[in-house]
Amino acid sequence: MSAVATNRPRRETAGRRLRRAALDGAAVPVMAVLGLAAFWLFPDDLGLMTRIAATALYVLSLDLVLGFGGIATLGQAAMFGTGAYAAGIAAVNLVNEPITLLAIGGVAGGLIALVTGALILHARGLTLLMLTIAVVQIVQEVANKARDWTGGSDGLSGIDPAPVLGLFRFDLYGRTSYLFALAVLIVGYLVARRIVRSPFGLACRGVKEDPLRVAALGGSPKRYLVTLYAVAGVFAGVAGALTAVTSGIVGLDSASFSWSAEALVMLVLGGTGRLYGAVIGTVAFMTIHHILASSDPFHWMLFIGLFLMAIVLFAPGGITSGIERVVHRLKRGRA
Amino acid sequence: MTTALLEVEGLSKNFGGLQVSSDITLDLKAGDRCALIGPNGAGKTTFVNLVTGVLAPTAGTIRLEGQDVTTLSAEARVRRGLIRSFQVARLFRSMTVREHLELAVLERERKTFRLFASVRRMPGLADEVAGLLDAMGLGAAAETPVGTLAYGQQRLLEIALALALKPKVLILDEPAAGVPHSESHRILDALDRLPADLAVLMIEHDMDLVFRFARRIIVLAQGRLLCSGTAQEIAADPRVRDVYLGSRAHVHQ
Repeated sequence: MSAVATNRPRRETAGRRLRRAALDGAAVPVMAVLGLAAFWLFPDDLGLMTRIAATALYVLSLDLVLGFGGIATLGQAAMFGTGAYAAGIAAVNLVNEPITLLAIGGVAGGLIALVTGALILHARGLTLLMLTIAVVQIVQEVANKARDWTGGSDGLSGIDPAPVLGLFRFDLYGRTSYLFALAVLIVGYLVARRIVRSPFGLACRGVKEDPLRVAALGGSPKRYLVTLYAVAGVFAGVAGALTAVTSGIVGLDSASFSWSAEALVMLVLGGTGRLYGAVIGTVAFMTIHHILASSDPFHWMLFIGLFLMAIVLFAPGGITSGIERVVHRLKRGRA
Repeated sequence: MTTALLEVEGLSKNFGGLQVSSDITLDLKAGDRCALIGPNGAGKTTFVNLVTGVLAPTAGTIRLEGQDVTTLSAEARVRRGLIRSFQVARLFRSMTVREHLELAVLERERKTFRLFASVRRMPGLADEVAGLLDAMGLGAAAETPVGTLAYGQQRLLEIALALALKPKVLILDEPAAGVPHSESHRILDALDRLPADLAVLMIEHDMDLVFRFARRIIVLAQGRLLCSGTAQEIAADPRVRDVYLGSRAHVHQ
């Protein structure tokens, strides 16, 4: 009897693991195919789709911090904005090679995350949340005051990147921008997946669940969290730089509290703790945002709010867990 | 080997005016199988927390292999081979049994800051984890998330995790707590197979387990060391009867 009782749930969880592994493996080819299909299907929306790709990389960085490290943050835009401004300022004054600009953005985002993370990550929960908000407000205020470098509230413009790899010019229709952003997103996703599956990723999942237990295994929870925060800062910085390079401008809103909160909304919508959840959440949120905002410019926020409440009520793990559950139920119904 | 692995000298802890540990001195040698017993509130858990570095003592020293570790952090003591298991199985609920052991082995080998290596392809890791799974009879449950694991198996995993860290001194905080009596022999079997040169200190309420496992028993009462000796000596000691066994005997009468 006990054998039956222990075997059944085991087989089911093994099945769920397999399905998740399959989804994980399929994520990159699906992303590439859908991304390229969208390129042919919606040639008039390339600007929006470019923003979606860059934002997905940004939300992915939040998923690393929150979904895999359990760090509650409303300040991820500090890293995004720093990366965007660093790339923008470098583009105006120093270099205009796009991949170099992304690297500059990544280093800047990683450094700010490393420094601020080392200062604030001893705190947990609400205290940490407040500190992350403080950091993003400070970064925004610095950007606002340093007008000579950042353009202040007018924004930073005049970013004119050279052709990608010296071959593909950034054209008027945004084709190069979109394909470049899609490629960066896919590479970023692959790197993030690698990190999540590494010994470091395993340790971070342990810290997320019980930092004291990790300490009892000989690990230092804070060192893991600061490192994870810095690594995610690199991703956010690259995403910021990607936005700067493809849009040609950087505004103060790129380092704002509301941009941090929006990333959180997109991640929760897609589902935390799964990398593809970040991508699905971003695509869903920004697409709905776009459709609603253009069809009803006065009440779209209301509909976004209702949609979010429905997700939280009926699919608490986000869209991805909702899909996983439906698939699971269908399979059981068939069996 | 005669030198003590763990030496505790004059260890005391006050919480305000309340003295929960006072002047405890004991040592553990390689191969020791020692049990720490005492009635509720005797300060057993405080003692474990002091030795492992969760709490800082008010007075006294703790030496590990002759080196003073009194001021070292809990992590630093773990890295020197002073390992504990938890009274309430304290595990990562969403992680599988295999992932737990992988993490423990990687921590021991200080490989957890490898960001771009794959856990599945770490050389030697899969073999070592398989060995630990076998030793604890957890092979069939390797891919089960710990949150859905039977409680007795969680206790075995606690012991396996401690072993994965290759301890020199192992402190087992009530390894059989919450395990039905019919299953506690599995815990005892696992304890019997611990490496012979390991120094083990077990805190336990289950007297069957204590008398079968320990070659030396230390009795703690009201934060003080009352006495120590073999199972027979302890069972015959009138002071122990008074503070511990006696009270139970009264209940049974």
